[in-house]
Formats: sequence, C-alpha cells, structure tokens
Amino acid sequence: MALLAQIVVSGVLLGGLYALMALGLALVWGVLNIVNLSHGALIMLGAYATYFLFTGAHVDPFAALPLAAAALFAAGYLIQRGILNLVIRGPMFNTLLITFGIEVILTYLAQLWFSADYRAINPRYAGSSYTFGGVTVPLVQALGFAIAIGLTAAMWLFLLHSRTGRGIRAAAQNLVAARLYGVDPKRIYALTFGLGAALAGVAGGLYGTVSQINPYIGGPLTAKSFVIAIIGGLDNPFGVVVGGLFLGIVESLTALYVGPTYRDVASFGILVLVLVARPSGLLGRTA
Amino acid sequence: MSDALLEVGRLNAGYGEMAVLRDVSIAIRPAEIVALVGSNGAGKTTLLRALSRLIPSRGELRFAGRSLAGAAADEVFGLGLVQVPEGRQLFDRMSVAENLRMGAYQRRDKAAIEADLERVYALFPAVADRRRQLAGSLSGGEQQMCAMARALMARPRLLMVDEMSLGLAPVIVDALLETMSQIRAQGVTVLLVEQDVHAALSVADRGYVLETGEIVRAGTARELERDPEVQRAYLGAADPVPAMPAGRAHGAP
Ligand SMILES: Nc1ncnc2c1ncn2[C@@H]1O[C@H](COP(=O)(O)OP(=O)(O)OP(=O)(O)O)[C@@H](O)[C@H]1O
Ligand SMILES: [Mg+2]
Repeated sequence: MALLAQIVVSGVLLGGLYALMALGLALVWGVLNIVNLSHGALIMLGAYATYFLFTGAHVDPFAALPLAAAALFAAGYLIQRGILNLVIRGPMFNTLLITFGIEVILTYLAQLWFSADYRAINPRYAGSSYTFGGVTVPLVQALGFAIAIGLTAAMWLFLLHSRTGRGIRAAAQNLVAARLYGVDPKRIYALTFGLGAALAGVAGGLYGTVSQINPYIGGPLTAKSFVIAIIGGLDNPFGVVVGGLFLGIVESLTALYVGPTYRDVASFGILVLVLVARPSGLLGRTA
Repeated sequence: MSDALLEVGRLNAGYGEMAVLRDVSIAIRPAEIVALVGSNGAGKTTLLRALSRLIPSRGELRFAGRSLAGAAADEVFGLGLVQVPEGRQLFDRMSVAENLRMGAYQRRDKAAIEADLERVYALFPAVADRRRQLAGSLSGGEQQMCAMARALMARPRLLMVDEMSLGLAPVIVDALLETMSQIRAQGVTVLLVEQDVHAALSVADRGYVLETGEIVRAGTARELERDPEVQRAYLGAADPVPAMPAGRAHGAP
C-alpha cells in the first residue's frame, strides 16, 4: 500500500512537469492552429540553458529558470515572426513540416555545440527529500511541481483577465472579428509562440533537474505533450494539468508493475489509442 | 467634398483574380447617416471589408483627412472606423461583458471604459441582463444588440453596420434603428448597409445604390424613396412584370 502511494505521488510530481511541458504546445495549437513539432526541441534548449547557467555561471537552476524563459521567449518570438508567419493559417500539413524541420535543425545544432553526452544538473540539495508517513518526496521534484502548477495557474489568469490575454483568445476564436476590433494578429501570434517557447524553456530547466539531458530528448517530449494536449483539450490550461497528471501516474504505475523500460511504451500506446479513437484531433480544435 | 469624414474615390477591390468593386466613389460627412443598399451579391460587404482594410484595394481611401493606403485593419480601427460585420462575428466563447471589453481593446482609459460600459448597458438593457452569458448562446436579436454594443465600446467616429436587420423581428429592427438615431445625435457618423431598404431610408439622410460592384444611384433618402427604379427594384412597388433587370424603364413591355 505504501508502495502504491509512493508510486502515485511520484506520478503526480512527474505529471505536474508534464502539464507544464504540454501547456505551451496546447497554447500555440489553440491560438495559431499549429501543432508545433519543435516544442520538445525548445524544451531541450531550455534544459541546456539552465545547465550552462548552472555549470558555467553557478546560477542556481531554479534562479536560472526566468533567464531560460526569457531566452526561449525571444527565440520563439523570432521563429514566429521570421518563419511561421510566412505560412500562417496555411494548411496544417505545411506548418507540421516546417516545425518538424525546425526540430531537426535545433537537435542537430545542439548535438554540434553541446555534444551528444548525457548531462545532469546537480545542485547541492539535489538529494534532499522529505518523508511523510512512508512516502518520500524529493525536494527538487516538489519544487518543480509547485512551479509547474503555479505557472499554469498564472497562465490561466493571464489569458482570462489581462487585456493581452483577451486579445490572444479573440484571435483564437474569431480571427476576422479580432482584426476588426484592433488586434494585430502578427504581434499576437508572435507573442503567443514566444509564450509557448518560454513555457517550454521553464519546463526544460525543471526537466534537467530531475532527468539527464541530451540533444535528443525533444522528440519524445513533443509526443507526450501532444498526448496531454489531446486528453486535456486546448481551451482551458487546467485541461493540461488533468492530462499531465494522468500521463504521469500511468507512467509511474507502468514502471512499477510492468517494468521501467515500458514507461514510454505506455505513453505512446495512449497516443496511438487517442489517435485511433479521435483521429480528427490531429486536424482541428476538436480536442 | 473636402469636409468629408470618409472619402472613397474610384475604389477597386475583389477576391484574388475576381474583381467585385469597380470605381466606387462615395463620401460621408460627419454626423450623417448614409444608407448603402443593393441586391444580394452587389458588393456591399466587400466594400466594408475594403474600408476596414480586411482585403486589399486600389483607389483613394481617406478617413478623417488621413490616407488609409497601406494601413492595417487594427490601425483603421484605432482611427475610429469601426464595423459591425455581417453575421455579427461575436467572440462566441467569451461572455457578453468580455465581448464588450474587446470593443475597447485599443483603449487604455480604464475609468472611461467602465463608464462607457454602463452607458452601453443602459442603451441595450437586454444585453445588460445577459452580461455573464456566453455570447454564442444568445438569441439572434440579442447577438445583434451585443455586436452593436461591442462596436460602441470602441467610441467609433464612423460606425459601419452590415445587414443589421437580417433575421430580426420588425420591433427589434425599429428599436435598433432608433438607437442608430440616438448614436448619431451623439456625433457618431453611420454607414448603414441594409437589405431592408425601406427601414434604412427611413432613418438615413442620404443613400447610395450599389449594383454589381458599381454605384448606380446616389441622393438624399427622400429622392431615393421616390425614385421609380429604386421603388421597383427594392421597395416592392406594384409592377406587372416583377424582377425585371435593372436599367429598363418602368412600364416597358
Ligand atoms: N470571401 C470571398 N471570396 C470570394 N468571393 C467572395 C467572397 N465574399 C464575397 N464574394 C463574392 O463577391 C461578390 C460580392 O459579395 P458581397 O458579400 O460583397 O455582396 P453583398 O452585397 O454584401 O451581398 P448580400 O446582400 O447578400 O450580403 C459576390 O459575388 C460574392 O460571391
Ligand atoms: Mg453582405
């Protein structure tokens, strides 16, 4: 029983991080109608940014997160303004291909610049943990969970109550009406893509504190974010929390009862099931 | 007409290769209500899209003394050229109140926005009652009022209303036309695009008739109401041979 509780807690902690990973993908998908296949590569860049700030400049990994977010926001803004803007609202196949190309390029550049070696972000407190009634909660993962949920909530408040958030939702719901009422789509789209990339950057930094990183972590993380976005839907940021927790718990249970190597089999099994059950999820906002 | 608020000279616009508007010239003076009428497919909505810079156009386009050539849709909106589009185009998954706030998207004067909200709610009590409801769940008439209210939140200088009466009960149309006159009394200029020519001419000062992309008649509302061609084509005047092509004399065999 204690073992099961431990597994569920681990799954929940992992799920919070997954939710944050998926949040940026779902945001961009919902507003720009782009499934950003380079999302995982942006997560990977966020992880490296945090890693190098930590090892190179001795910045605490959690303090490095805002810097990683700012860097990735700028990168996302420029990618949207300079590349994706050219095919905006084009057929989804075009944007899939282009973001896939960006993913390949970023992965290749990371391998070139950072080498293919595994790296880990290990601050002094990396091993600290708390125990409650037989269940162990690692400090780093608890912090990561709190940041992930806090950012998701902040994103929700921003979209719901700020003027810019309203402009983002307006562009997502009715682009013609948004243009007629003073929304500049170029700016809103670049801002949204930048926000999605910034969220990926923070998620990457947090990922680096709990897992080893290398240039190839992006692809599987994109796929997991995609599964979560489909489960949780695109309209409400808390949908991705539900989807993230679900995937985190399923992976943890699979690791325990089937074997750790089967984790990803479980999550991609869910991906296949979801695509079979609602293939239209790929094409539109049905999620 | 150099005192015009909106000046359109030899405007050409269309969709891709297809030309719709051909050398359209109109002018609207401050605080006028001008009706733009014409049959289905004449190009009325296309003209409004060109004026709001949703689609590109060739020709002269001046608003409040400034050329709109090269201006983007959001800039035109910022100048006070505001449109209530055909089919309302509300933000369906936002509340009514949020839709109204979208009307004030480019405004930063918080206190004035709140005051305007109350003013607009007073003008449309039915909208006020539903302010927390999702706009997509309103009835057709409520949606039209919500769309008008949203436009007023932008403090328009020129309000362009496309097909306001479509699908609405006559009482609601009358109420909305009455509102239009009130808005004008507050100094807002109105361009009214209507199928219901009778209703449009009843509140308008002047009007234009658009046919297959060209302005074929212009005049005061009284002149147009009395024009036999207009009567026959748009006001359903008794005619032994209905639906004759435009341009043929009244009573021709
Ligand atoms: N998005 C579009 N793409 C291509 N052609 C269009 C488009 N919108 C309108 N048209 C065509 O342009 C012409 C003018 O259409 P428009 O909508 O301006 O007419 P309208 O005068 O507003 O008619 P109605 O009274 O029915 O609203 C029509 O022949 C129409 O088929
Ligand atoms: Mg029309």
